[in-house]
Amino acid sequence: MLSFETISLDTLLTLEADHLDALPFGVVGFSPQGLVEIYNATESQLAGLQRETVLGTHYFSVTAQCMNNFMVAQRFEDEAEIDAIIDYVLTLRMRPTPVRLRLLKAPEIDRRYILIQR
Amino acid sequence: MTDLEAEHAALLQFLYACPAGLVEFSAAGAIGMVNPAAMGVLLPIAGRPFIINLFDVMDGCAPELRNMIQQFHLPQGTVCDGHRIVTGRGERSPVLACNIVKLTENRYIATLSDVTAQVARERRLKQAEIWFASLLDGVDDVAVLSLDANGCIDAVTPSAMRQTGFSEAELLGRPFEWFDRPDRASAMPLPGEAIAVARRDGWYLHEGWHALADGGRYWCQRLIAVRDEAAGIAAGYTLVIRAVARQGRDTADLRRMLTLDHLTGASNRAHFFETAERQLVRTLRDGGSLALVVLDVDHFKRVNDEHGHAAGDMVLREVARRCEAELRPEDIFARLGGEEFVVLLPGTALMEASAVAERLRLSLAREPIDAGGVELCITASFGCSSLVREPAASLAGLLAAADSALYRAKGAGRDRVELAHANQAAA
Repeated sequence: MLSFETISLDTLLTLEADHLDALPFGVVGFSPQGLVEIYNATESQLAGLQRETVLGTHYFSVTAQCMNNFMVAQRFEDEAEIDAIIDYVLTLRMRPTPVRLRLLKAPEIDRRYILIQR
Repeated sequence: MTDLEAEHAALLQFLYACPAGLVEFSAAGAIGMVNPAAMGVLLPIAGRPFIINLFDVMDGCAPELRNMIQQFHLPQGTVCDGHRIVTGRGERSPVLACNIVKLTENRYIATLSDVTAQVARERRLKQAEIWFASLLDGVDDVAVLSLDANGCIDAVTPSAMRQTGFSEAELLGRPFEWFDRPDRASAMPLPGEAIAVARRDGWYLHEGWHALADGGRYWCQRLIAVRDEAAGIAAGYTLVIRAVARQGRDTADLRRMLTLDHLTGASNRAHFFETAERQLVRTLRDGGSLALVVLDVDHFKRVNDEHGHAAGDMVLREVARRCEAELRPEDIFARLGGEEFVVLLPGTALMEASAVAERLRLSLAREPIDAGGVELCITASFGCSSLVREPAASLAGLLAAADSALYRAKGAGRDRVELAHANQAAA
């Protein structure tokens, strides 16, 4: 199943780029250092940013400072394993936008994911 | 992708990465645009993912924002510059600095930045600053007195008589604290505290009001230093009083602005936390009791919804006025946010605090409040807690215990006083 609620970390890791782009929700994958490795087309469109300008940058300092607090960024630091859905407000194109976030992290997998559903 | 689109994306990225919070909002507080840095600080304050109105989010920690905007009558200009907001409860709460500029009648832009570290640095510098100021400034406005081992004046210099207007006979033999003239905004040390600290540390510094012979008072910085220390016992002290010049309207206004709540004239959060923290440390060190009462106006949202914010503001002002009238000068009455107030009661145990709360409750319930032509029956619910002596005792713990008692008072039907449970009091 490729839904926001059920898609697994393993599936995200193996999906081809065009399949990731076709998902109806935003997908951001980043390294343990916080550098963006995956930025799908849906998220690029929601945020109004081009993929090339986001890849390789530090996600919580450059693009998503609103998640740089104990509710999101700190959890990736503190918890070994996360699969949680939280209600949140993003500032997509500077408009306060209620979203649902799914935070994904597993002990044996380096890459962490945030899924964003409007 | 066109040049225009590329430029648009670059602008967005610039705003996403901006390290200062930016918020655009209407006169009613409705947020139009907001950047991620601002949302990053607003979300923890709101504690819930529902942010559409800046005043609603800030109501708990900076209820004055709404009033400041309402009372700003120029068509455009700076509403506030570097306005400090203490966002949490307790000593390590983040502090924000807020600038607001009015663009049109219905369009405002605010910047928000986290200045927590800067505030901590300033506090540490303040004591050193008073010390150097009293040393470096002209000697003309410095009065020097001698105190005996008990803090009673045993010798004076002409400078002391010139500065205070008192004669030598009036000064000699008096405890120096007899000349204190405290007010609500400037908590003075408890009797004996200054001498006790000077005996322990060698010196004590304080700023406050001091009596003049003509019945007036003047603002001064006061240094008490141990003299003639023989065999570890202080034989006496030197008291240096430095009059702070230009304690005129400007400084008085500034002090009022820094310590009082804009709307109600009660102490503001920052002043409450600073004073309460000091009082807590003092009580833990010297013994004695300390109690806290939190009160929340019942069904206040209804007042705002049915009669408008102006009526709500009048109710809050009157609640503050009635409560303050029931309290002692040494009690601290502060607005914590929205319709929530707190009273810090030094030297007071839980049962006495409960009696105070009951008195406050009656003073509100006894007669209706005039909210601009309409008489409203206003009640409040009260929660009381008191200090339980143990290493983990903290202001946050006291507040949490009083809060949960308040919660029970609300649950039990409002307009009543509840006490913290014994095992909760210091949690």
